Amino acid sequence: MWKKLESKGVQDNALFAFAVFIAFLILFEGELAIPTWLQPVGRMHAMVVHFPIVLILLAAVLEVVRFYITDESTRFYSVFTKQLLFVGALLSGVTVVMGIFLAREEGYDTQAVVAHKWAGVVVFYSAVLLFAVRDRNWFGVIHARAAAVLLVGCVLVVGHLGGSLTHGENYVWQPIATSFFSSAAAVSVDTLAFDDIVKPILESRCRSCHNPLKNKGNLLLTDSVTMARGGKTGPLFLSGNPEESLILQRIALPLDEKKHMPPSEKPQLTDEEKNILYQWVKSGAPFQRRVTTLPESDSFRLLAIQMLEKGSPSQRQFDFPPAPSETLARLNSNYRVIRPVSRNSPAVAVNVYNHSLYSSSTIEELGAIREQVVTLDLSNMPVADEDIPYIARLRNVRRLNLNFTSVTGSGLARLGALRYLEYLSIAGTSVSYTEVNHLLTSLPALKSLALWETLLTDAEIATLQRDFPHVRILGAREGEIEMIRLNSPRMANKTRVFDDSIILELIHPVRGTEIRYTIDGTEPDSVSSPLYNGRLVLARTTSVKAKAYKKDWISSEVAMLNVYRSAHEPDTAILLSRLNRVHVQKGAPTFFDHELGTFNANSPAWANNWGGVRNNPLALLLRYDVPRTIGQVSLNCLVETETGIFPPEAIEVWGGDSPDDMRLIGRKRIELPSDYQKPYIQLFDCPTDSSDVTYVKILAAPVMKFPAWHRNAGRPALLLVDEILVN
Amino acid sequence: MEKTILEHGLNLNRRRFLSRLSLGLGSAALGSLLVPDLFSGSSTENDLVTGLPDFAPKAKRIIYLFQNGAPSQLESFDYKPALRRMTGEELPDSVRMGQRLTGMTANQKAFPMVGSFCDFRQYGASGAWISDLFPYTARIVDDICIVRSMYTEAINHDPALTFFQTGAQQGNRPSMGAWLSYGLGSENKNLPAFCVLLSRGIGNGQGVYSKLWTNGFLDSIHQGVQFSNGEDPVLFINDPTGMDRAMRRRMLDNISELNNISYQEFGDAEIATRIRQYELAFRMQTAVPEVMDVSKEPDDVIRLYGPDCMVPGTFAANALLARKLSESGVRFVQLYHQGWDQHGDLPYEITKQAKDVDQASAALVIDLKRRGLLDETLVIWGGEFGRTNYSQGRLTKDNYGRDHHPRCFSIWMAGGGVKPGIVYGETDELGYNIAKDPVHVHDFHATVLHQLGLDHEKLVYKHLGRRYRLTDVAGNVVKDILA
Repeated sequence: MWKKLESKGVQDNALFAFAVFIAFLILFEGELAIPTWLQPVGRMHAMVVHFPIVLILLAAVLEVVRFYITDESTRFYSVFTKQLLFVGALLSGVTVVMGIFLAREEGYDTQAVVAHKWAGVVVFYSAVLLFAVRDRNWFGVIHARAAAVLLVGCVLVVGHLGGSLTHGENYVWQPIATSFFSSAAAVSVDTLAFDDIVKPILESRCRSCHNPLKNKGNLLLTDSVTMARGGKTGPLFLSGNPEESLILQRIALPLDEKKHMPPSEKPQLTDEEKNILYQWVKSGAPFQRRVTTLPESDSFRLLAIQMLEKGSPSQRQFDFPPAPSETLARLNSNYRVIRPVSRNSPAVAVNVYNHSLYSSSTIEELGAIREQVVTLDLSNMPVADEDIPYIARLRNVRRLNLNFTSVTGSGLARLGALRYLEYLSIAGTSVSYTEVNHLLTSLPALKSLALWETLLTDAEIATLQRDFPHVRILGAREGEIEMIRLNSPRMANKTRVFDDSIILELIHPVRGTEIRYTIDGTEPDSVSSPLYNGRLVLARTTSVKAKAYKKDWISSEVAMLNVYRSAHEPDTAILLSRLNRVHVQKGAPTFFDHELGTFNANSPAWANNWGGVRNNPLALLLRYDVPRTIGQVSLNCLVETETGIFPPEAIEVWGGDSPDDMRLIGRKRIELPSDYQKPYIQLFDCPTDSSDVTYVKILAAPVMKFPAWHRNAGRPALLLVDEILVN
Repeated sequence: MEKTILEHGLNLNRRRFLSRLSLGLGSAALGSLLVPDLFSGSSTENDLVTGLPDFAPKAKRIIYLFQNGAPSQLESFDYKPALRRMTGEELPDSVRMGQRLTGMTANQKAFPMVGSFCDFRQYGASGAWISDLFPYTARIVDDICIVRSMYTEAINHDPALTFFQTGAQQGNRPSMGAWLSYGLGSENKNLPAFCVLLSRGIGNGQGVYSKLWTNGFLDSIHQGVQFSNGEDPVLFINDPTGMDRAMRRRMLDNISELNNISYQEFGDAEIATRIRQYELAFRMQTAVPEVMDVSKEPDDVIRLYGPDCMVPGTFAANALLARKLSESGVRFVQLYHQGWDQHGDLPYEITKQAKDVDQASAALVIDLKRRGLLDETLVIWGGEFGRTNYSQGRLTKDNYGRDHHPRCFSIWMAGGGVKPGIVYGETDELGYNIAKDPVHVHDFHATVLHQLGLDHEKLVYKHLGRRYRLTDVAGNVVKDILA
């Protein structure tokens, strides 16, 4: 009979298969997806787990005993123990698989689960190993004892870890232990930086080794005195300098480092706790200081408050269920966007767009997700007072934006039902002081209220801020109404170059501005200069000076607006010389395209409209279908002494009836700058004397050698021209 | 005989081995049933991001006021009185420590240090030092967090700018706004999640290119949409003359049908994107004019931003527009103001540049604050690197220039859960190296993503066989500046 049971092959194979299966599951644990129908199997983990515990414990005891039984029953014991061990190992394997399934479900504190999992895996493989080797010849009583003790130890550890998972840490000892956090439920004026914030962390994470009984590293972490004293290695921290502080360095070491604290097998500090320690040291490691006396923007203070306030209604963990996804999909549209606040959050934010498509039903329909809406943005929508009840039933709303809607104070009064409302924006609505005052008393959780462009005066806002110090009331103008300078008027004409006459179009971007101007070079003023009325015709090259005026504004600076007459546009223009590489533009047409350039022409991106030469003169041949009388040729040039853009040294104009028969009809030497100057754009004229020419040749010579005062003295200058006027 | 026994034993072992092997394989096969896609080779990683934050975010939107060309920290937010006293003295080698310089000053014979031409004063409860060039920013100093210890790796504009916007210097990576659009999706389905606005000052400028707002390897729905300042703020979305809205609708329906056929046939995700883009553009036809209309803004707003905000194409106008876009749920509004590259003529140019942006930048913060939006909107102001503490080119009594300096520079942030009224980080007294709390560009990215509820280590996208992040393989959230 025993023989039959000893059919070891089957058992061996079963355990082997399980071992591989579990190894596989652990290897790919991160990618497991447990189908719903398998979940109940996982959830039975806690029930099934007791069988292998008992069986393995029993088998371990028998394993030790079997070497002491010498009579007939030896064989029975041996086989019985073996079978017991087999069933125990197999069931522990089953339990491990179940546990792995269960751990894939949400809500398990990873760190604790990982420890429990590995302990369980160790138990399973130890049991399998023992089963495999226990019949070997070398396996003696010592091995059996050691194996049994080890196995029992592992089972106890895994059992304890599992118990902590199910019942919570310290479940057994809790009734006789005191909770340190219970005394500090919320921040008050009495909250002490060390005693109430830092000490509880040390007590939960460090004290088990650094106490008067154990005293590792000669370090005590029991109170402020011992903490300040430090241990064997030296002081624990350097006030204000967390990077140089031993305690934080040790905590920050990699987990596998020997000097890492707390030791890897002990409970580790959470990120939040690490951060609090860090900021505490950074804030100068205050011991006796009250948290509320720290500066408001102090990180430690903020963290401490955050930590202590957990559990207040302001926290962002919501206890309502998520809305059915079909409902969300049905309500979502291009003009009413509904999105979860974050991944895995049941809360949603709603944004409404498109003024013309808005109606009451836009909000009314949100009743289907009244629990879930925590943010609602209706700014610039025609929301009326009648719609407020629909908003008021979205009882979990934290943030509501009603800026520039049509709601009034009487409608807003009904928002009182929103007991979690923290942020309310009603800028640009017609609410009054008393209505806002009432609103502030009825909204218990309110933190911030935006009131800009309402009926409230700055003084009233200041009063409210004084009466409701816990709410940030936004919207008061900071300081006096400021006198701001208007910007200068502009010219709206498409081009500033004309051949006969131009109707000047002056505009100003600000509504209700007056423009006054002069065309004689004098400064415009608000009394004697004519008011621009849209009808200003100019027939010659003119410098218009214009200035903008408006009540309550400082009048603008004078705008110099030049218009250029070029009566004799050539019918054909041919370039006779080479243009500079960067300033080729459109070739000859550049100079007659009515497009003017701007400053900074040295950079290729800014070089638009400037044609230029260096080293060689600018030479152009103009042809007219009908003979013309030319009295003056003008070149509009950029001068930028700093970067070496100079006016031409001289301009020559030649005229005649054919290109081969030309005479000099004008020549002008240009006075060059004698020192560095701010950049400017200037028209350089060359008077000519001719009648009835069909061909005109223009030669403009660039400066070939910078004068001695220039930092590039001796080298050639650049000549840039954007337009040539022929009159 | 012995041989036979041995053979038998070997045979037994062989049989045992094979049976064990099959048993093992069987167990593994059983286990594999529980691992989806184990052998199919496809990765589920790209589905990890579902367009939702990892945790409840502090900020929902970003407005990034990028100061393109790199404004000098020494004339703005990093006060160095010692540098001023030592103006004209040679930069000590012990400070430079052999750091590489750009080709523009590497061959300079001398490196005369130069202090700021403008004065600094302390403002607000935090007592932060701010230069006289930024009087309006000085007024909001208690609402902003100045980081004076930024540093970067690139020394020239294009790589530095690309690094700041995409987390890599080489280009072709998705830009920050695209990552956010990918990670968070759009709040308003009638506007792009990522909008770009350009302006330029009179200072020496550097171009910006559309590669800075590219979607990179992400789906092209995430690319930034540039708004221009002409009559058509968004090019090509208006109906052409002769086509009414109904006809446009029919046209889109037909195109969409054709596209759907190709999509069924080829399964290219970009076809589906194209269909979505057409639909978005159609809805933008009504949403864009509504957002762009500034004619109803109260006089108070014009005063706040300065009258230039009514001049399309100015920084002030873009700042106002940024507020309107952000208010309408645009996730990331990226402004670029060009012209901050003061290699020469710095005093003149930087004064103009500062005047362009100072009032409107401060106005944006105030405007958001008084509408109750600042706590959920993160405003960022800064350039791509800093400028040297020595003069580039001729140093005269009242004129000098500054070259590129990646080792330290200042930016500021406001709202969005960033601690207000603090100054973070320090540079040495000559303003050359960081003395305390350095913040790398990757750290900056990690922090910004964190404020938007995204873990920068989890926001990954697998492309060409490797996982990519905005922060590549680095970056730490700067917790000290978070409220």
